[in-house]
Amino acid sequence: MGRAGAPAVRAYAPVVLTAAVVALLPLRYGDSRPMMGVVISGVLFACYAVGFNVIFGSTGQLFLCTGALAGLGGYGSAILSDRHGLPMVLAMLLASLIAAAAGGLLSWIAVSRSLGVIFTGIVTLAFALAFQNLLLGQRDLTGGETGLVVEAGSDTLLGEQVAPFYVFVALLTAYLALFRALQRSHVGWAFRALRDDEIAAELAGVDVKWYRVLAGTLGSGMIGLAGALYAHSEGFISPSTFSFGEVDVLVIVMLAFGGIGSLLGPVVGAAAFTVLEEWMESFDEYRLIIYGSVILVLFLLLPRGVVPTVQALVERLRRRSGRPSVPVAPSPVDTLNPG
Amino acid sequence: MRAVVFDGVVLGLQFGLLGVGLTLVYGLGGVLNLAQGQLAVLGAIVAALRLNEGSAVVPAVLTGLVVAGTVALVLDLTLMRPVYRRHGEDRVLLGLLLMLGVAFIIDGVLTWRYPIEALTLRIGGDPVDILGVRMRTGSLLASAIALGVGAVLVVFLRYAATGKAVRSVIQDEEGAQLCGVSPATVRAFVFALSGVLAALVAVTRSMTSPVTVNAGIDFTILALIVAVVGGLGSVSGAFLAGILLGVVNTVSAHYIGTYVTTIVLLGAAAVTIVLRPSGLLGAGRE
Repeated sequence: MGRAGAPAVRAYAPVVLTAAVVALLPLRYGDSRPMMGVVISGVLFACYAVGFNVIFGSTGQLFLCTGALAGLGGYGSAILSDRHGLPMVLAMLLASLIAAAAGGLLSWIAVSRSLGVIFTGIVTLAFALAFQNLLLGQRDLTGGETGLVVEAGSDTLLGEQVAPFYVFVALLTAYLALFRALQRSHVGWAFRALRDDEIAAELAGVDVKWYRVLAGTLGSGMIGLAGALYAHSEGFISPSTFSFGEVDVLVIVMLAFGGIGSLLGPVVGAAAFTVLEEWMESFDEYRLIIYGSVILVLFLLLPRGVVPTVQALVERLRRRSGRPSVPVAPSPVDTLNPG
Repeated sequence: MRAVVFDGVVLGLQFGLLGVGLTLVYGLGGVLNLAQGQLAVLGAIVAALRLNEGSAVVPAVLTGLVVAGTVALVLDLTLMRPVYRRHGEDRVLLGLLLMLGVAFIIDGVLTWRYPIEALTLRIGGDPVDILGVRMRTGSLLASAIALGVGAVLVVFLRYAATGKAVRSVIQDEEGAQLCGVSPATVRAFVFALSGVLAALVAVTRSMTSPVTVNAGIDFTILALIVAVVGGLGSVSGAFLAGILLGVVNTVSAHYIGTYVTTIVLLGAAAVTIVLRPSGLLGAGRE
């Protein structure tokens, strides 16, 4: 089954289209440093959400440690480059590998003890909170609560105003392309099989354990790399940059709003909530109230997420107009792409 | 050493009481109440406001408990309806996200209206000697309340008709329905009860240290950990986990140092879950 049969051009069109639209943003906001900061953080969270989507959306493992994994990447890369004199790119790659290893280990523990969704969530949450405490406690290494100034990268194009944005867009595009490639490969087939029915997948010969650990490792590495890149482009990190409340809550809400497991869900969610956060700045003291109310309304109206809902709608309209449905098996996002 | 363990048990009983409300609601309806901590703080702030108006302690505390319980009941009757119409993972996820929204709203209202309010109950009286350890009256009263409530809950669930109805829904919703138990009524009742219990934790907590407006998130995270380590759906499991984690907490704070303590505590929680994937007293895998 699957989209391996769909022509490659059509399969990757949403990725290219998204990248093109996002890349236009500096035309509007390029001359404002604070606005570029907002836009960059939006793309950063889209990257986090794609990584989390690989783990949770594809294989159902609720990792409540996105912030901690990004922090392993961010702090890891900053310490490796500034303290130990490693070249920045090498430090970023090493730190991402550390994050990937940590995520893979957590995934392996969860899978080999066959922990359920909630239990995986709590074990990873415990890891995230412990990591946060380590950051606060290891003052010599991390600067504790005051944070850490990241030297490496400030003299490269990452120190400029608009250039880092394009680095992040490139990263997001690569992540989306990777996600699509996974969907189209036998790995994606295995992911879908184990998401639909774990026991049936196991009986059909899918090594469920292996694919889960693979998703956990890969997704964590992606999150770690995004965190490392942010550390160098922002030039300053603190424990709250990677805290559960600042990262995980937002990433989950974004992905759930956009559509769990869908290609563009993370981007739609990140865009929506970045705009919302920016808009709420002016309300200051009612911020939390509005935020909470918006979450309630959105999830009551669109419990499945925007992307799947729109897809279902498009599909219905097509059927009504008498045009045949998508030729091969309907790919979630192909239907989004008209024509 | 004995004093340290005693302190741990005192703390653990609080932890247990905190986990109980969460564990019952999850066991019944599959909803992880992420606003548990905010309900607790809501009750505490209402009580504090009544105290400011010159009310006596007991009526003030009762008002706090009633308000938290009522808000929880209203949430169950309105917001949770669409959640209960779903099944499996869908239900867990939607319930969790909606309660997260509620948590933001309660937090927002409280920090907006009463940014510096806090509940502190000073329990007078000299320290009491128990087995050669001097215990503060506040801690003792807090523990007594936690123990009493825990015991009442266990007895209620085991012997009272309503309690049996609750357990029957936890075990098998459809089966309970066939026997004439209405899951919706039972859920509403337990949701309200969990609100009251949450506020009660905030009240007992305020006997040893102040409960501030922004304490909600910490309460929720602790409640989650305790409920999961104890086994979701198990009341005695929650108390067992609470005491275990409480003792781990104070012993490590005493012998290793406070900064490492949180890590030891979280490590203990994680190890327990990994060793017993359904929790200490959990019935089966979730």
